[in-house]
Amino acid sequence: MRPLQLTFAIIKPHVVKQPLVLETIRDMILTSNFKVVKTRRHAFTLKEAELFYEEHRNKFFYNRLVTFMTSGPSDFYILARDDAIKEWRKLMGPTKVFKTQFEAPDSIRGQFGLSDTRNATHGSDSPESVRKEVGLFFPHFDIENWYQEEEPKFRANQLEFIREFFIHKVIEDARTVKKTE
Amino acid sequence: MLNNTKRVSYCILAFNKRFMSVKRKYPINPDDAKTLPVFEYGVSKDSYRRVFVWGNLQTGALGVPYLKKNRNTLQRECLGAPKRLGFAEKFPVKTAACGFGFTAFAVDTDSGHKLYGTGLNTDSQIGRHEIRSGHPLEIIYFPQPIHLPLKNPKTKIKKISAGRAHLAVLTDEGLFLLGNNSYGQCGRKIIQDENYFMSNYINHVRHIDGQTIKDIECGQDHTLAITENGAVFSCGWGADGQTGLGTFNNVSVFSRVKGDIESEHIIKVASRSDFVLALNNKGEVFGWGNAEYDQIRNQRNEQQICHPTHLKHLGVGKVQDVGAGGSFCVVVNDKGEVFTWGFGILGAGPKVEQSFKPIKLAESLFGRNDFQPDSRVVKVVCGLSYAVAVTSLGDIYAWGRNLRSCLGLGSEKDQYFPFKVSLGGYVERVFCGYDHTVAICKPFI
Repeated sequence: MRPLQLTFAIIKPHVVKQPLVLETIRDMILTSNFKVVKTRRHAFTLKEAELFYEEHRNKFFYNRLVTFMTSGPSDFYILARDDAIKEWRKLMGPTKVFKTQFEAPDSIRGQFGLSDTRNATHGSDSPESVRKEVGLFFPHFDIENWYQEEEPKFRANQLEFIREFFIHKVIEDARTVKKTE
Repeated sequence: MLNNTKRVSYCILAFNKRFMSVKRKYPINPDDAKTLPVFEYGVSKDSYRRVFVWGNLQTGALGVPYLKKNRNTLQRECLGAPKRLGFAEKFPVKTAACGFGFTAFAVDTDSGHKLYGTGLNTDSQIGRHEIRSGHPLEIIYFPQPIHLPLKNPKTKIKKISAGRAHLAVLTDEGLFLLGNNSYGQCGRKIIQDENYFMSNYINHVRHIDGQTIKDIECGQDHTLAITENGAVFSCGWGADGQTGLGTFNNVSVFSRVKGDIESEHIIKVASRSDFVLALNNKGEVFGWGNAEYDQIRNQRNEQQICHPTHLKHLGVGKVQDVGAGGSFCVVVNDKGEVFTWGFGILGAGPKVEQSFKPIKLAESLFGRNDFQPDSRVVKVVCGLSYAVAVTSLGDIYAWGRNLRSCLGLGSEKDQYFPFKVSLGGYVERVFCGYDHTVAICKPFI
């Protein structure tokens, strides 16, 4: 059996401000069979945003991307699934919202994007960028260690979902956490 | 019991008999009919307006009570056809503004609250409302009063406009701005990590550059103001050049927009997203901001234009009204002809298209026919990816992307050419948000 793949997702500031949309997107993540390994809410600092979008530095949209991402708190998730990177990008839809709303109206961006910059979500494009992006926002998360210790349990679905924190926990760990559901 | 049934059957017999044999003793005198009293329908007050709402119900922006009771019960998520707003029957609504998931209503009174808001309130864009202290409400499902710090209780609200998460209220006492200020769109200093949800701060701008403000318009995250001498001032997010100030930075103080409009007398600006159209008193159109979808094409093929540019290429005659959506523009000229260009459902055919040249939409699509040859479009309003035209007969026609039924046509399908929205009144003004629409109508009688 193939091991699960990890991907890194960001829910952008304008969605975090809309509780109903955030809930719908979270539901979409769960119904698409993603497991949530880590969750964090945090506002980008200018330095983080510049580092995060380094590859786009010379593109025309770099300035608006950085100023937008620093405008409020975002949600960061590490998601696990087989073929997670591709599947998450499929669920998100293409980048350009004004085109996506006609080409893929049921995708997250097609439904909740407000403009090409305020396009609701971000997803990593390759295993290397997952490594880099996870390292930036979850510095204590060790990917190798996770594959060794937790991945088999995630694959076997020995999990408990804690709605309050929007996270999946391995059941042994979960005993100490107060049950919310 | 038996007795009763008998009695009933007798009654029916008697009833039938009476009507079977109608014999007039006196013939009807036609002159008498003229002296009979004529029933007069009650005429509504001059100030009375009907307000209709449609679109996304979940955000509470429609002011129609909606509660999510249970995950398993099927709930209506949107109103597909216009619904009359109960709030407007109790309060004389004068004007309104649709933001992204919220609505504000201005009420014409000399005492009490003049401004009401409903919908999403995560940035305090419709004031702070809490049921217990320290816990403000995220969503409001019924219009609630917003307290404005006015000096004179007789002050009138002239216009309101709403952006993605901020609200601008223009009164006789100047401009009041509330809500999200993370790009400076409220015209005050940007504070890093400010918690807008817990905030109760309303920024008051009395004059700009010593002049009174005549008109305001909110884009998604920027604000534009026109002063009495026709100059345009702007603040907020400038990363696409939408402030038109020649820079791509955020500006937190109202600053004069120059470029091609510096010496023009501007009478209207329109912006729903990151592109702005401005109209001067000679009927010429100017544009700036995000032009990725061919709204403006310049020599250097720039996609972000931070200098206002005169759109000389249009060739549509003297323009009367302008509207700017997210990726397209709509204008109407003094003959009532409607032109669109840009990208999206432009209204000219059964496909999504991109055009740099303005496309004329046939007048017959807007209800001009043998029975009403005088019908012509007088106003156009743009939502994020749909547009609405108001005609001189008080009808409205909508086309574009039907996100959560924001077109009000009773269906959920996208509309590829203008189609009439059925409403119970003569439409005076329409306000478009991102997925909901509000229309203020004069009653038929």
